[in-house]
Amino acid sequence: MSLNSNEKRSPRQTILIADDSEMNRSILTDMLGDEYEIIEAENGVEAVSILQKYGNAISLLLLDIVMPQMDGFGVLTVMNQHRWIEDIPVIVISSESASTHVERAYELGVTEFISRPFDALILHRRVVNTILLYAKQKRLIDLVADQIYEKEQQSGLMVDILSHIVEFRNGESGQHVLHIRTLTELLLRYLSNKDETCQLSRSEIALICTASALHDIGKISIPGEILNKPGRLTKEEFDTMKTHTLVGAEMLKALPMHQEHPLVKTAYEICRWHHERYDGRGYPDGLKGDEIPISAQVVALADVYDALTSERVYKKAFPHDVAVNMILNGECGQFNPLLMECLKEMGGILEEELHSDSRARTNQRQIQNIAEEMLRHEELSASERTLQLLEHERMKYSFFADMSEEIQFEYTTNPSMVTLSSYGAKKLGLEEILMEPHQDKRIQEMLGEGTLKTLSEQLRNTTPENPQVKVDHEILINGERRWMRTIGRAMWSADEPPKYMGAIGKTTDIHDERTRIDALVQMASHDSLTGLFNHNYAKQRIKDKLEKRPGATFALAIFDLDYFKQANDNYGHMFGDKVLIHTADQLRRSIRGEDIPARVGGDEFLIFLEYKDEGETAIRRIFNSLEGTYEDFQISISMGVARTTIVGTDYDELFHAADQALYAVKRAGRGEYAFYNNTMKEMLSVISPIDGSEER
Amino acid sequence: MTLKECYMALGGDYDEVLARLRSEKMVQKFVLKFLNDKSYELLETSMETKNYEEAFRAAHTIKGVCQNLSFTKLYESSSRLTENLRSGYGEKTDSLVSQVAEDYKQTITAIKELQGENPV
Repeated sequence: MSLNSNEKRSPRQTILIADDSEMNRSILTDMLGDEYEIIEAENGVEAVSILQKYGNAISLLLLDIVMPQMDGFGVLTVMNQHRWIEDIPVIVISSESASTHVERAYELGVTEFISRPFDALILHRRVVNTILLYAKQKRLIDLVADQIYEKEQQSGLMVDILSHIVEFRNGESGQHVLHIRTLTELLLRYLSNKDETCQLSRSEIALICTASALHDIGKISIPGEILNKPGRLTKEEFDTMKTHTLVGAEMLKALPMHQEHPLVKTAYEICRWHHERYDGRGYPDGLKGDEIPISAQVVALADVYDALTSERVYKKAFPHDVAVNMILNGECGQFNPLLMECLKEMGGILEEELHSDSRARTNQRQIQNIAEEMLRHEELSASERTLQLLEHERMKYSFFADMSEEIQFEYTTNPSMVTLSSYGAKKLGLEEILMEPHQDKRIQEMLGEGTLKTLSEQLRNTTPENPQVKVDHEILINGERRWMRTIGRAMWSADEPPKYMGAIGKTTDIHDERTRIDALVQMASHDSLTGLFNHNYAKQRIKDKLEKRPGATFALAIFDLDYFKQANDNYGHMFGDKVLIHTADQLRRSIRGEDIPARVGGDEFLIFLEYKDEGETAIRRIFNSLEGTYEDFQISISMGVARTTIVGTDYDELFHAADQALYAVKRAGRGEYAFYNNTMKEMLSVISPIDGSEER
Repeated sequence: MTLKECYMALGGDYDEVLARLRSEKMVQKFVLKFLNDKSYELLETSMETKNYEEAFRAAHTIKGVCQNLSFTKLYESSSRLTENLRSGYGEKTDSLVSQVAEDYKQTITAIKELQGENPV
């Protein structure tokens, strides 16, 4: 490589200096800062996170060995795990000159080991040489990568041209091949996710899609009059037309080379069998069911769908829904039922992808843009351009992250590390980079072990197709518990099967919103005067209990205050309210946690409880605790009780029976309680409208 | 006091450092900067709190910086202390620490005198 190309080296290269001594870092910065961008890290953890963030934008790492938190060997180990060591050269500068250290460093892949005290000139020369060497190597790699990229583009182009020639004769728009490819890809991807037995790798799908472009090459042998005949084909003409499958297959079979290439084999399957049908009534071989390769089955379906939805010399285009219905009704022959399900479930996706803006065309446009860009900046190879784009994205991201009041985080499993947005770190009082977050006491305390476990389990249980989770949880910040909502997205690798790599996400404060909702729930379920449940809500809870434990013995008691009207009349309504509040407090005190107390309305209350033996003891205890005086007013109550053993477990019947028992008490002179029995069946009730209005 | 005289006063090797770092200006800059280096304070506090792992790292840093600047005397005592602390606290540790303290004081005194004549 000539000197010339070095001069062209566009932006300055970046050196990362990792050393815990500020003095040491600044001596090195002084020596190298004129020629290179310098980033400093004061310990191993920071160095790793910078490497993680900048990746190959770092041209060289100058590494100290003895450092707090993570030493130089730790950094090298991480670099090996991630294979960063293959792209980023490392020079160790250390006063540890023991041969075991030097040996270990070289084994971990460092380029140079320089002992202190170092000679400024020699160090400088070694830095420059190492960077040049790696840059050269990287340029060569990029060159090869760019060429492979170009070659793939070209072969894709060749396939496109070839298939377009066929269509050209056919008088079709040239869109058909692109459509088939898009449809085939969509169907195959959907099928792969839907059914485990049909799982295909990305490269298998790509192969079938490329080969799909060749499905009609046999048409090159069909006379133009038949191909482009506007009216219906005669039987003879149709028989000729049918031969395009066999002709295409034979053309491929006759290829003098590449017979074993997967692309040729797949194209052969597709050419020959893309007019077969699942019930064996297709052509040319009349294959049945899964005798037809899946590649041909999918292309056949795509072909039919596109033919229906496009305009042809002999027909108009059908809309998506009509086309799908025609296929589902078997008007174009039978297809694999599994594929039919895919077609049904995918709904509008097919239409959108095809017509919004042909994906294939978009891709072509993108490639064109990249190519133009590359021409304008000759010195930029595609991969350098990618780096620039990444840098741009990173700036954008960090800007928006700082603007929003969200705790944003990024978690990687290997190394086990959390990076927080600077707002997030400040809000939580943590550093921006945390190693081993699961072990971190402060995080455990803040989130609680349960939440941490839930989050991590939920993320790990996602899939690459559906990687998002939402968890509401409490968090302890500055001694205050607040409700937060964490939305996370798991990151899965592109491997088969995919590996869990970590997650990104954000945590927002939903405390105020949640408190407001809690208050609304409280309002909707409670009586505002006494704070007891209201009748409606109590009824709901009681019904739930009755349903959940039909074997248990429950009692429903209704009571009201005797002569309450007089209290209101003599002392005023304010006083009346106070009596009610007092009674509610007494009631609360006399029952157990699982019992349900409620205010039915006016001076009527309700208690629902589970009892043992006859229930007499519990009821008497409650009854006694309610009687007493409030200021000058003598509180006397009447209570009717209905038991599930007698009345059954229907809420309305229980309520009615308790009401009747209450009426019996009233009639017998008040100030007592009574259990409902069948003799009371014909009694009037207190609460129902025909009420004997003695008190009201 | 010249830079060379300062080196003599603190027991360093002026010729050697100049040969390595190649510029008198740069040497002087970092010699003065040594006054702001926190490693010695870290050594003291970590000895007090008996955090010997941290003390080891602090001694190690002093050693490295002294090596860079050819502060031979302080380099030698901090180097001995580093090796001693590598295997944790031992019976000789305390006397090695006081040797480092003495040499550090001598170094600082000399540099301050140099600084007095070369205000930044």
